[in-house]
Amino acid sequence: MSETVSDADFLLSERGQGHELGAWVVGCAFSRDGKAAAFALGDGTLRLADPAAMATEWPSVAAHDGACLSLVPDIASGFLTGGDDGALVRTANDGGSETLARLGGMKWVDHVASHPDGLRAASVGRQVHVYARDGRTLKTLTHPSSVGGIAFDGKGKRVAVAHYGGASLWFVNSKEDKPRVLPWKGSHQGVWFSPDGTHVVTTMQENALHGWRLSDAQDMRMSGYQAKIKSVSFTGKGRWLATAGADCIVLWPFFAGGPMGKPPMELAGGDGVLCTRVACHPQHEVVAAGFEDGLVLMAEIGSGKVVPVAAPGRGAVSALSWNPSGTQIAFGTESGFAGLVDLSKR
Amino acid sequence: MSDTIPVTVLTGYLGAGKTTLLNRILTEHHGKKYAVIINEFGELGVDNDLVIDADEEVFEMNNGCICCTVRGDLVRILGSLMKRRDKFDGIIVETTGLADPAPVAQTFFMDEDVKRATRLDAIVTLVDAKNLIARLGDSKEAESQLAFADIVVLNKMDLVTEEEAAEVERRIFAINPYAEIRRATKSNVPVESVVGRDAFNLERILEREPEFLSGEDNHSHNEDVMSMSFEVSAPVDPGKFNTWIGELLQNKGQDLLRTKGILNYPGEDRRFAFQAVHMIADGDFVGAWPEGSLRKSKIVFIGRNLNRPQLRRGFEGCVAA
Repeated sequence: MSETVSDADFLLSERGQGHELGAWVVGCAFSRDGKAAAFALGDGTLRLADPAAMATEWPSVAAHDGACLSLVPDIASGFLTGGDDGALVRTANDGGSETLARLGGMKWVDHVASHPDGLRAASVGRQVHVYARDGRTLKTLTHPSSVGGIAFDGKGKRVAVAHYGGASLWFVNSKEDKPRVLPWKGSHQGVWFSPDGTHVVTTMQENALHGWRLSDAQDMRMSGYQAKIKSVSFTGKGRWLATAGADCIVLWPFFAGGPMGKPPMELAGGDGVLCTRVACHPQHEVVAAGFEDGLVLMAEIGSGKVVPVAAPGRGAVSALSWNPSGTQIAFGTESGFAGLVDLSKR
Repeated sequence: MSDTIPVTVLTGYLGAGKTTLLNRILTEHHGKKYAVIINEFGELGVDNDLVIDADEEVFEMNNGCICCTVRGDLVRILGSLMKRRDKFDGIIVETTGLADPAPVAQTFFMDEDVKRATRLDAIVTLVDAKNLIARLGDSKEAESQLAFADIVVLNKMDLVTEEEAAEVERRIFAINPYAEIRRATKSNVPVESVVGRDAFNLERILEREPEFLSGEDNHSHNEDVMSMSFEVSAPVDPGKFNTWIGELLQNKGQDLLRTKGILNYPGEDRRFAFQAVHMIADGDFVGAWPEGSLRKSKIVFIGRNLNRPQLRRGFEGCVAA
């Protein structure tokens, strides 16, 4: 980047708020109604911020006795977290929290997911528990190995689960519980549906992604990364898959027959610093990215234009998220810094 | 290195006393805080420590190498433990009785997140003095666990005579002459003799002199795992050594359980230390040769189907021209 540090910090200092929270930021998210932002920390707490009044205090909520392991927005508002205390916890926008399930004394709730139609899911070891809106257990799905990630499709009809040897697709409402298994050798540690539900993508123990086109089970291998890929994000309409794990943002085209046989596009590279987090704008073809040195930026896919959001120096970026309307960005770092930036027109 | 957390691996057959040792480590007043990863619900009495129940999951790496296996559960758990604010003085991993220690050890060399946050401290193998010889007869795992051991706790000494104990030690040294044996009853070894040993530190490779068995021939036993060591006094050429060891590990890696070496490179005042677990190797310069010492290069193999003349010729062929 050619910007000086003060330039790179312009948006955070002029249009945002930042706090040292004192523990590893495991994840950050905005509630689905956009009225709250949350940072889940390695000390088991959740910090809540009011996006409409971000300069006010960010209250702390004791969600887990241990560490938070995963955070997603809950069904309509609020947040859902899993922790190494074996609990699945819902925290409302106002900070009221309730334990939805205690799933293991010495086992962890590694991954959580939710869907706006009223579904929640949590994984403990090899099992994924799927819950209805009222908290009733719809299903307990067992996999051949520990679960690496869970994702609902856009319609909330299917849930995808990553594990050793591939991914399993389950129908949430089917009477018979038999998954469609998408096989691929190796350990799969995260899973995502494309927004239109036609593709499933996983991240792997190796420095690679794998994908399947569901119509014909065609495999897609996406490799060549220098590090494990811990973050991927589809653009709003699903044309691009943005990924971390290289010293730039790597974008795979999911159109015109891609990504098979198409080279990926690279953005915001050149500094030799590892990209650790990506998050695509919910509507536009813009991707936010966080790097190992703490830099946070936005890049426009069409033009390649890059705008810095926060300067390097506050720890490797470990969490990054847009609000539902795409006007705000939240990010957090391994050393416990959290930032919230407003990009809306004034 | 200093801010990585040491991980002690506890192996041993069912009934060898692993849970007793864990309880001892966790209940003694040593002022240290440990996280313990167990694989079966044992009766652990713990206050200040974190116990995590995990299923052992051995994953093949997707790189075409069948011995490149890692423990997926450790990748997941060790990666997440680093995010906690309360830091641990150490992490102890208990393996099941039938576990092969190789995937556990390899996890510390293969996974970037694990490597960044933790280091393998030592592999501690508990054996039951009364039953070890029978186990060696009927299980490959018992041999592997000894072959990988840095420290062997020879437990249940109260149940054997001195002669029986000596015979058990003889069998252990035949498999692994570099193991340090601690005799114990009810796992009563000092905590510091098994935790915080730094045995995988390259600087400490071959620090321990092997227990050579007087008047014994290592080949007279039925053990299928054995050890061989070789020495050369002339300096070793780094290029030749890398080519040779690279090919050897590639072709024989499955049989080579542990390999350790200290090398004297020409024109270099520092010792080069080398170690491998199956095919996965690690090496670095580890400080100067002691003043006035003989700069001998030395390599040790612990494994199966070792061909002594072939290995000797190979190592001797690495001597600098």
